[in-house]
Amino acid sequence: MKKRIGKYRRSTDSTQALIMLAPMFIGFVIFTYVPIIYILRYAFYQSNGFSEEWIGIRNFVRLFTRDTMYWTSVANTFILAFGKLLLEIPLALLLAVLLNRGLKATGFFRVTLFLPAIISTAITGLIFSLMFAAYNGIINDMLMNAGLISRAINWFGNKWTALFVLGLASVWNNFGINMIFFLMALQSVPMELYECAEIDGITPLKKFFYITLPMIGPTFQAVLLMAIVGSLKVADLILASTNGQPAGGTEVVMTYVFKYFFGYDGRNIEVGYASAMAVITGIILAIVSFIYMKSTNKLGHSTE
Amino acid sequence: MKIKKKTISAAIIYLVLSVIFVIVIFPVLYTILGSFKGNMELLTEGNSLFPKRFVLENYVQAWNMGNFAKYTWNSIFMSGTIVLGTIFTSTIAGYCFERGKFPFKNFLFLMVVSSMFVNLGSLTLYPQFAIAKVFGINKSLWGVIIIRVFGLNVTNLFITRSYIRSISVEIDESAKVDGCSFFSIYVRIILPLLKPLIATIAILEFRHSWNDYLMPMVFTLSNPDRMPLIVGIMNLKGSGVAASSWNLMLAGSAIALVPMIVVYLIFNRYFIEGLTAGAVKG
Repeated sequence: MKKRIGKYRRSTDSTQALIMLAPMFIGFVIFTYVPIIYILRYAFYQSNGFSEEWIGIRNFVRLFTRDTMYWTSVANTFILAFGKLLLEIPLALLLAVLLNRGLKATGFFRVTLFLPAIISTAITGLIFSLMFAAYNGIINDMLMNAGLISRAINWFGNKWTALFVLGLASVWNNFGINMIFFLMALQSVPMELYECAEIDGITPLKKFFYITLPMIGPTFQAVLLMAIVGSLKVADLILASTNGQPAGGTEVVMTYVFKYFFGYDGRNIEVGYASAMAVITGIILAIVSFIYMKSTNKLGHSTE
Repeated sequence: MKIKKKTISAAIIYLVLSVIFVIVIFPVLYTILGSFKGNMELLTEGNSLFPKRFVLENYVQAWNMGNFAKYTWNSIFMSGTIVLGTIFTSTIAGYCFERGKFPFKNFLFLMVVSSMFVNLGSLTLYPQFAIAKVFGINKSLWGVIIIRVFGLNVTNLFITRSYIRSISVEIDESAKVDGCSFFSIYVRIILPLLKPLIATIAILEFRHSWNDYLMPMVFTLSNPDRMPLIVGIMNLKGSGVAASSWNLMLAGSAIALVPMIVVYLIFNRYFIEGLTAGAVKG
């Protein structure tokens, strides 16, 4: 009799758990899995959102043979991502090392330097596009006042200066979180290691490269992966500042595909073709992560 | 001698940190101080960080003519609802996956985890929008709210699950002996114990939903009355009057920034902890 009650109780518990979980799980399937299936299906269709027609692999043929703009946007994405990480990661690491020295105002700097990380990426794009505006932008005016340049620079008129400003904006927005990761990793390095090394008379630079860096290897690997993938997925920043100008010079892959999906920025809606691009973009991202994981295995196996 | 060396190195560190601090804080100051400049000043001379004359006109104009009262309310409504909803859905999901025993549990969890490896970012926005259209929720912020609340945020799921794991199972069991069901254990025991975690989730979600741009933009494209702040500000930029509305853009940005900064300054510990915990485990 008693056993029966227990069994009955257990089955109601599991029913309750299923009922409680159901709304979220259904939502998850609808808004995470169904979109992926949707994209996989529409990649083989021609569709403007209303009518659709099966066209086999023609979307992919177009993508690989005729659409040079897509590949330019992929190239731009990589240039922007790796260019800005060259500044962002060393900066974050430097700040983490400085904040780890246990000086008095560390708390203050930690909180204020992290501040940009809580600010909307879109607003970041807007602020930087106003600051670097060609006419009356505060940066141009300050540089001219300081006598560093004689004429206002049209930052967004040239692909490379535009990418440079976007890179700066992105570094500003993202270095804080990496800084905190590095700081957390540094704080977990045992002090004894440094003390032993000091007895052996090690230079600070060697200390950094032979002790600190290997000790934070796994964190470094994970942080870099997240930073790379995050940078390759950049979209808001571009839409909010240059919107791909000048002449597609700052168009990144996410914004390029986005515009085809929604017919944004004067384009026709081409859901089928956009889906095909999304599939290829997803594959490119997966390949990048895979290559990264393979080639950095030495840094540490843990990606936790 | 050693002490001297130490003070010098401390001084250098402070110097480096201070220079970076100034550069980092500059865009924020530029926005907030710029929002008090008159439009004439903004459009004719940009070289000074501080306004020559403080004017509140931009805010008045943004509030009355620029629809910003509506945008602000929409932002508050959207993020408030998302924060509240997510607190419940994330903790329930974490609780069910950690403590629940039901068929296919591991399979369902695997489904959730494996979704992390399909990295499409904003590329799934269109299909999400198309699906919302099927349900008739594609023309207001409710679509965004439903997707965010019921879409099961994997990061939140991970942090709640590991937090609940740290709560002793014996508490559950003694409640069970006292006649609590699975659901009432959640309501009476687990939820009250999750307070610190709820603060973290609330702040993460607040930051995310308040700052979100693409998804709310897509859902309010045809319905400007429902736009949240960020979308409204960007809309101003996209429209033809961009050159003459610097003052509105700056005032709008300041309205969007200040609540976030205030919340951050009060709860910065939760922000930093939450963002890092979330990213590490997600």
